[in-house]
Amino acid sequence: MFCMGKNDHAAVRATLNGDKEAYGALVVRHSQSLFRVAYRITGNEADADDVVQEAFLRGYQKLESFASRSNFGTWIYRIAVRCALDKINSRRAGGPGRGAEQALPEEQSVRIAEPAAGPENLLLSGEIGAVLDMAMNSLTPAERTAFVMRHMEDRTMEEIAEAMGIQVNAAKQAVFRAVQKLRPRIASLRVTK
Amino acid sequence: MMHLSEEELIEQYYSKGKSAPRIRRHIETCAQCAQAYASLQRDIAAFPAVQPPVRDASYGERLWQSIAPALPRYESSKRSWPRRSPWRVLVYSSAAVLMIAGAFFAGRQWEHRQPPAAASNPLAHPQPVQPLVLVILSDHLDRSERLLIELKHADAGSAGTLYPLRDEARDLLISNRVCRQDTRTNNDPALAAALDHLDRLLRELNSQPGGLNAASLTRLQNQMKADDLLFEVRVLRSRFPEQQTAKSSGGSI
Repeated sequence: MFCMGKNDHAAVRATLNGDKEAYGALVVRHSQSLFRVAYRITGNEADADDVVQEAFLRGYQKLESFASRSNFGTWIYRIAVRCALDKINSRRAGGPGRGAEQALPEEQSVRIAEPAAGPENLLLSGEIGAVLDMAMNSLTPAERTAFVMRHMEDRTMEEIAEAMGIQVNAAKQAVFRAVQKLRPRIASLRVTK
Repeated sequence: MMHLSEEELIEQYYSKGKSAPRIRRHIETCAQCAQAYASLQRDIAAFPAVQPPVRDASYGERLWQSIAPALPRYESSKRSWPRRSPWRVLVYSSAAVLMIAGAFFAGRQWEHRQPPAAASNPLAHPQPVQPLVLVILSDHLDRSERLLIELKHADAGSAGTLYPLRDEARDLLISNRVCRQDTRTNNDPALAAALDHLDRLLRELNSQPGGLNAASLTRLQNQMKADDLLFEVRVLRSRFPEQQTAKSSGGSI
């Protein structure tokens, strides 16, 4: 395995010079962050694992085009976002992949951080999670991706636009529409509680 | 007073205070918009960040092991053609196209400069291989036949008719030499033999400084008869179309 102490650029250069194992170091280093965003966009583990795998495969194939870019982490992150967007687009189009609607019961609710997870709180958390999950599923793939990147990943509108391959204004509009759709659901939760 | 739209409030929320000063000032001064903004903040803040399931420390290593076999190793020095820069590929491709176009154009030019006979079907246009030589030969045989006829019927007593025969024989010797040279390259034994016989006769006829006497005339007539030279010349003349013979009959080399 390539030495983890070397930076990303050195690993990329080594990979392009024939040291395939150097890419393994990049995979290990960035797989967690890619899984996180992939899971948030796709909404289930299996799809997220597929997305991470696909992103690193695509990244390896396009590695020569990365040579002049500044940050491997940002670059591979963008690829993962594109892969995740493709995944939920194909899912919506009825293609392969498991939608959240058909997700297994244990996967159906998004996980909400609960500092004190007592039995009642866990039950409430599960109910809220199911509602939020349904709310997220009401978004289009573009709205969902833009909202996840802005609200959960704290990315700028420019980063969102570049990752999704759209104009900044289109990214802003996607975030606005997502918030407009989600607010009534959140408000209903507040009333229920 | 124009109130802020929901879009402007959302922009204010996600800009984290870096939105347009106009929006900030409006929220500070407009109670209704301030309330709307506070409501929006509550709603959005209530939407939790999705927490992905935990992946252990070996996740990346397992992931790498699963994809590594599918990845071909990059070649360090020799890059394959598709991996070259697009500009270099474009330059090489353009050069190849230009070379092919140049070769095609040169071929077309070369083809146009060839004689039509070479490009067309030889059966459709049965031209002689060496038209000039054949015209000479036809004319030569024609003149030779006339000379042989005159020689056959010549009378040693009429010396005036024999001098023109010697002059004609001198001219025919030149054309006979050309025809014999050409016959050697064309491998035509019958024609070669006839021209050889004719050459001997013409030399003999030309080499009479004082003109033909009765003895030499008889000897030449006998030689011509022995070689059956007149008959040979007539046979050879029949090889050529009458039209060509007629056309060339008045000419000379």
